[in-house]
Amino acid sequence: MNQQKPEYLRPALIVGAVAGVLSGLPAFSLLNCICCLWILGGAAIAVKILSQATAFVLKPSDGALEGALTGIIAAIAHTLTTLAFKPDMETARRVLDWLSSIGIEQPSNIDGILERTTAFMSPAWIILGLFVTAIMYALVGALGGVIGVSLFGKKPAGAAPPPPPPSSGPADAA
Amino acid sequence: MNAPRTAGARGGPLRPVLAVYLGTAAGTLAWLAAIILAPWLAAGRSTARAAALLYAAFSPICHQIPERCFQFHGHPLAVCGRCLGIYAGFALGLALYPLVRGFTIARLPSARVFILVTLPMAVDGTAGALGLWASPIGLRFATGAVWGVLLPFYFVAGAADLLRTRRARREARALENQAGKT
Repeated sequence: MNQQKPEYLRPALIVGAVAGVLSGLPAFSLLNCICCLWILGGAAIAVKILSQATAFVLKPSDGALEGALTGIIAAIAHTLTTLAFKPDMETARRVLDWLSSIGIEQPSNIDGILERTTAFMSPAWIILGLFVTAIMYALVGALGGVIGVSLFGKKPAGAAPPPPPPSSGPADAA
Repeated sequence: MNAPRTAGARGGPLRPVLAVYLGTAAGTLAWLAAIILAPWLAAGRSTARAAALLYAAFSPICHQIPERCFQFHGHPLAVCGRCLGIYAGFALGLALYPLVRGFTIARLPSARVFILVTLPMAVDGTAGALGLWASPIGLRFATGAVWGVLLPFYFVAGAADLLRTRRARREARALENQAGKT
């Protein structure tokens, strides 16, 4: 059985890392509230990249797999970013103060959020947190990936799937 | 607009669709239960730590701002009103799924439907983020729910197609191995 399989890892690595970092940054993470915007949107973008790099039409299963992979990589990037920012509460406070100064309202539970971030900081909690986040992000990513297939997965009618042969003369450059 | 169909759309009843549907339904119920369980545990004296764990589990996917959350037992739910709307809508969409699609066809909604359903939440969310207006929690819930209803039609179709593809690959590999032995 000779089935064509797209190259899932590259788009998932690139987009997952960016989405994970953005969802872990103190200020940008608030945008994740729109149903995991970074992860959902990131998975859809990863599928768009995959679609552009693939000659054949993507199936929903390709989107689900690509999205889940993007979500898992985003969870790792999210955890690492959170760890990098958590201990430095001073910086977090400064960022929040800056956001307040430019008119972005702070949630009333911001102190609670900052306290919670330091409550589960032992290695065991971090690993458990990574595991839970990976499952959640994989599910949301799979959803985003399938949405991505429905939005970007189709090739325009009449598009030639095989790549053109290499140019052989100056006439091709024109 | 021709929505993409999964490989199994031509065949008879799709067992993967039913399996994924039942699994998703169970997972959705557990997910919603955990959201409501968090404030209930927070209200108890001996269960505050468990509540904190549940709140922490949902924190990567929601801002959990108390003013934007529905309250239960005097504590906010584990997710905001909009997220709760999305999950409640997802559950409603799952309930409607067999009536709309059945278990024989796994097909994705069209891009036009997706845009139409996303628009209310996108407008409300963007305007809120830009400070143009602060919509009440009920409206956030409603726009989230409208969007959430559509999501199972992607999730079940995608997961069922994935399950089916993997099964087909496994069976093909087993056949190849068998042919190699004989």
